[in-house]
Amino acid sequence: MNTPVQSARRASALNFSAIALTFASAVLLTGCNTLERSTSLANPAVAPTVIAQQVCSNCHGVDGNAESPNFPNLAAQQEPYLIAQLKGFKSHGRSDPAGFEYMWGLSKHLTDEQIAGLAAYYAKQKTKPTWQSRHTPSVNAEGKKIFEEGIAASSVPACKTCHGAEAQGAATFPRLAGQHADYTVKQLMVFQRTNERPEGGVMKGIAHLLTHENMEAVAAYLETL
Amino acid sequence: MSHFFDAIVHVRMRHGAIAFVALLLSHSAYAVPAFNQQTGQNCVACHAGGQFPDLTPYGRLFKLTGYTIGKVARPVSVMAVVSANKTKSTGSPDPGFDVAAGFPKDGNLIFSTASLFLAGRVTDHLGGFVQYTYNNYDHQSATDSHWIGHWSSDNLDVRLVDRYFGAGGSDLIVGATMNNNPTVQDVWNSAPAWGYNAVPGSSGPAVRPLIAGGLAQNVAGIGAYAFWNNTIYAELSSYRTATGFWSFMSKGFTVARGDKVFVKGENPYWRVALSHDWGPHNAMVGAFGLNAKVYPNAADPTGQTNRYRDKGVDGQYQYILDPHAFTLTASYTKERVDYADALANQPHPLDPEELIGLPLTNSSDTLKMFRAKASYVYHAKYGASLSYFDVTGSSNSAFQTSALDPANKTTLLEGSQPVTGSLAGNPATRGWTTEVFWTPVQNARIGLQYTAFNKFNGGTNNYDGFGRNAGDNNTVFLYLWGAY
Repeated sequence: MNTPVQSARRASALNFSAIALTFASAVLLTGCNTLERSTSLANPAVAPTVIAQQVCSNCHGVDGNAESPNFPNLAAQQEPYLIAQLKGFKSHGRSDPAGFEYMWGLSKHLTDEQIAGLAAYYAKQKTKPTWQSRHTPSVNAEGKKIFEEGIAASSVPACKTCHGAEAQGAATFPRLAGQHADYTVKQLMVFQRTNERPEGGVMKGIAHLLTHENMEAVAAYLETL
Repeated sequence: MSHFFDAIVHVRMRHGAIAFVALLLSHSAYAVPAFNQQTGQNCVACHAGGQFPDLTPYGRLFKLTGYTIGKVARPVSVMAVVSANKTKSTGSPDPGFDVAAGFPKDGNLIFSTASLFLAGRVTDHLGGFVQYTYNNYDHQSATDSHWIGHWSSDNLDVRLVDRYFGAGGSDLIVGATMNNNPTVQDVWNSAPAWGYNAVPGSSGPAVRPLIAGGLAQNVAGIGAYAFWNNTIYAELSSYRTATGFWSFMSKGFTVARGDKVFVKGENPYWRVALSHDWGPHNAMVGAFGLNAKVYPNAADPTGQTNRYRDKGVDGQYQYILDPHAFTLTASYTKERVDYADALANQPHPLDPEELIGLPLTNSSDTLKMFRAKASYVYHAKYGASLSYFDVTGSSNSAFQTSALDPANKTTLLEGSQPVTGSLAGNPATRGWTTEVFWTPVQNARIGLQYTAFNKFNGGTNNYDGFGRNAGDNNTVFLYLWGAY
């Protein structure tokens, strides 16, 4: 014969067991893998759009517009450039710190199809204004001059020659318009001081001709485009 | 000491004031290299400046999405801490006490704790971490005072999560968490379970509200949460005693050891937060609360309970732009506890027979805790932090573990406790911790901390009646942390 206390305890235990059972069932039913909302980076069956949403969006924004300047904007980026970068990360050909700290692992198991799909996804996204660092109008004017005319005195060619009149990029020459200034400066420094981005070898010679002030000016201007 | 006061004091001060040594033995979880195996990313991706356990915006999303990003990988990690503590000798008149209390602060380098983690992704929607920790200096042998190690459960958080993206980029994360420590599931560094005194052996306020570790590893919780558009977070969880099926969350905690807590039925915890990211900046303001019914006597978890009502507000600001990572956190928690009738208005602990007319204990108490911390890491290698803690609360003769004899005001009552005692019967403790650290490689960190107390157990000077000042508890703490 149970006392009322024992009965109450048993009821409470049953109640909690029911919750536990529900939780366990939920795990069994929904805890499996679902391709439409997968977070896997090692499953060739996961669609590139799903990877872009479930994984890449955490840093680059769901539409490729990254809020934090730690991470480059990818919206409307050139498809061949994106493919080259992802393959560079995957093969460890691109080894700048931001690359190996964040991207080597993430790209390790992506298939060529997934890489192509991700590049296509971001290439068709629309740019929108993201956070901008503050610069004086004179810095922006100086940057515009470097972008459009280069620096004759130090033989720096105009950026637009390769990156397009509106900095929209062309094939493996990346879009620079709207890119976070901090990211652009850091990459110019990588080109100038290291061999961590061999695919951008053409930039190494140019970056050597730029002062840090030049880099900041041109990056500040590009961010406003 | 009477049984009742044992009960009040144990529940109320489970983490320390009456056992100062407990300051040095707190458990904490860290960066888990198993997650690094899973994503292939460096620690800095998820931890601000690589400084565990502070999470970056991406680290928060990694946790909220159930630790599932990446691939199924080696799920095992290990962690160890070697440390040395140095503080002023207790100088207590009780040599037996000195041996115990003095030990961890004697400046010797010791292997203090080691943890084993099972962590990582299980499926697209299921992941988590389970930590067990070995405390090499758990307790002393009754026969020859040598230290004995002990394995026990540490933090645990297992999640079931899904994430939906709508038209126009709207984003909704919904999930369930199963964990064994209220706030361990939180993703902001201001939460009581994270961010303050995270390194085992760190010093800080000994008396804290129940939500700040008082139920850790003694309860099993299940909760549901949602995070909408990286902006609004809401969670509701319920905790019950981790016994029976749930005892795997509470291994090594026993009544005999005195670290077991029994709560009555289901005990709700809630959390809301507003978060915003702009450029390299991000900020959060939030609120949280826990209502818990705790049995005063763990050996007999029946009858009336002590009712704890904790609520708090917290906030965080972060600036992360390589090579800089700056985090500022603050939290304020207010607790009210109503004691079970049998515990309320009992005689003074040092005078259970009421022979000398010391005052009665309270039927309820309040406790308030404010903590703030600023930390900066340069190049994920060199860092410094400064934190402030201020605990205040109502006085209660049940906390008066040292007392003057009313009949002879120049002597202390028998049983008065040096070092850990409180003449004021008040928990007020205030101080600063400053730290510098170096992370030569991402799996190892060397840190030097200094904690300065300007109030301890309700007093600045002679707080224990034996002449010890709050400043005598100032502690230098050196640690080497490693994980693989």
